[in-house]
Amino acid sequence: MAKSKKEIISIQSVSKIYNLGETVVKALDNVSLSIYDNDYISIMGPSGSGKSTLMNIIGCLDVPTKGKYKFKDELISEMDDNQLANIRNEKIGFVFQTFNLLPKLNAMQNVEVPLIYSSLGRKERIERAEEALHIVGLQDRMTHKPNELSGGQRQRVAIARALVNKPSIILADEPTGNLDSKSGNEILKFFAKLHKDGNTIIVVTHEESVAKLSKRRIDIFDGKIARDE
Amino acid sequence: MEKLLEMNNFFKNIIIGLFSVRSNLTRVILTASGLTIGIFTVSIVSAAVSSIDKEFAKSMDYYGNDKVYVGTWPWSFDFDWWKYRNRPKIEESSLEYITQYSEYITDVSIKKNTWTRATYGNKASWLQLNGVYPSYQDMLSGTKIENGRFFSQNEWDLQRRVIIVGGTVRDGFFQGKDPIGKKIRLNNVTFEIIGELKKQGIGMVPGGTLDNLVIMPSTTFERILTRWGFDELVLQTNPEDIPLAKEEVEMIMRVARKIPPGDDDNFAVNSADAYMKQFNTMKNAIAGMGFLVTGISLVVSAIGIMNVMFVSVRERTREIGLRKAMGATNFNILTQFLSEAVAIAIIGGSVGIALIRLTVFGLASFPIPNFNGATLPISFDLLLVFYTFTICVFIGVLAGLIPARTAANLNPIDALRDE
Ligand SMILES: Nc1ncnc2c1ncn2[C@@H]1O[C@H](COP(=O)(O)OP(=O)(O)OP(=O)(O)O)[C@@H](O)[C@H]1O
Ligand SMILES: [Mg+2]
Repeated sequence: MAKSKKEIISIQSVSKIYNLGETVVKALDNVSLSIYDNDYISIMGPSGSGKSTLMNIIGCLDVPTKGKYKFKDELISEMDDNQLANIRNEKIGFVFQTFNLLPKLNAMQNVEVPLIYSSLGRKERIERAEEALHIVGLQDRMTHKPNELSGGQRQRVAIARALVNKPSIILADEPTGNLDSKSGNEILKFFAKLHKDGNTIIVVTHEESVAKLSKRRIDIFDGKIARDE
Repeated sequence: MEKLLEMNNFFKNIIIGLFSVRSNLTRVILTASGLTIGIFTVSIVSAAVSSIDKEFAKSMDYYGNDKVYVGTWPWSFDFDWWKYRNRPKIEESSLEYITQYSEYITDVSIKKNTWTRATYGNKASWLQLNGVYPSYQDMLSGTKIENGRFFSQNEWDLQRRVIIVGGTVRDGFFQGKDPIGKKIRLNNVTFEIIGELKKQGIGMVPGGTLDNLVIMPSTTFERILTRWGFDELVLQTNPEDIPLAKEEVEMIMRVARKIPPGDDDNFAVNSADAYMKQFNTMKNAIAGMGFLVTGISLVVSAIGIMNVMFVSVRERTREIGLRKAMGATNFNILTQFLSEAVAIAIIGGSVGIALIRLTVFGLASFPIPNFNGATLPISFDLLLVFYTFTICVFIGVLAGLIPARTAANLNPIDALRDE
């Protein structure tokens, strides 16, 4: 990749080991990885290979059993729960396969959720949420509840929610897995656009077509990085 | 500034908590009703006890803290009347012994009691009558002559038909006009009103309220109203001498009645403080029962709220995971669920308060016919509202703490994966 790019994430010899009494599962086995500003990475691999585990560690939802994780200059692998929550809030935007919108909140309120845990005032929260919904083209669906939206629209609300705090990196774990190909393509177009606008994106996927759109592809096999190009 | 932002965050979590209460209103109301019942009982019991207390204290003024009474019956709440009903009547002659031998008694009077029908024109009412000595003027307690005068020694000697009346006579017979000099009929005998007692309002003195009282010379009483009733000796002393005075009077009475050593008294020496003690025991028993019932219902409702909160945490595991992924700290989640629990408790308590308000209002506006328009002595205490609020917050926090902690400590990945 272009050497001029700034490294934002550095993972060094990270392992995630589940000790299930008799068997020991190495979900991640001594993985090292650097992620640069404005990367667009797809992660592929068979089921159970450790893709989600890697994503969760990058997203600070999970902590590695071994190894070092540096986010910019901060040592994530040494942080406590509150510090991790703070990093998730400010630096990371998640997009899930199952959207994970709160059913009783409308689109606007769903997008506002991450801002509630930041220190923004109400007015600024609303402005930011509106702006994010504009970016995903849902400015005329702001007061709709999730069950009044199509699957593609729901995922766009989720993307708006991931964007709203202006994160350093957007993590999407099979974002098109629950969508038909048309809605899926729409979502992928957004990722392409977000990447062009300067965002850093990591997408976990099973689909070759999705991976092709990314600029860098990582294959994982049995908890190890098998290919990175 | 940092602090301020933290506060802001804190309230945001409370609002999220309240929001989820709103979306589960039916369940919340059902759970909260336990607390409603608890708060209702505790409030009614304490309101009743404090009202009874107030009224009782007022009534006790009537007996005075500086008087000893000798009668056939002890003032107590053990109602074994059969033990006392064959006792000899109180004789006025005992007063001579007491005046002669007692060190502590400074003044004495007989007090003859009966009830009779009083009429004025075509109006009629039942009144309580006391026949007393002129000395009773200085022994009046809990009331005083507000208008007119007491009867004189001369009037007593001549058995004059003069009376001092309580507050209800003015309203009942004379449309609120001055009754002095007017004549009313008691037991079909005409009496002249020469004095009026201060109006008291309802009391709990056995035998009625001071406002229904008519006082007259005991000589007149004896001549005209001897059908039925009972006599008491009223003995004046100093408040601090009451215990000694009672012992002394008992001894003198035994001598006067020639009761052999070892035999039981066939009279009773009473005083307000002893009555008060008896009353307090009974009051505490009532209060104890009330608080027990309340305690149980509070515990039950706390368990109910805890249960609802566990269900809520279970149902919203994914939401918790999501909020954590979006940057909620453990403390944020804890606050959210705690405030939900507290809100449920406060909803329950508020309904309780509303019920109490209605009940008190209903009772207070319901006049009791036999008491000349007076109402039941129950009052509504604003402090109650404050206590209720405190109890609700306490119960809410207590019941919500474990579920809220469970929620706060959920691992975000596991929570997100929850189906
Ligand atoms: N909490 C856990 N306890 C024990 N083992 C776990 C746990 N979480 C994940 N694993 C194991 O770790 C391995 C990697 O899981 P992971 O979820 O990362 O797979 P994946 O690549 O995302 O698979 P998929 O494509 O099906 O989503 C699996 O073998 C899984 O069984
Ligand atoms: Mg996965």
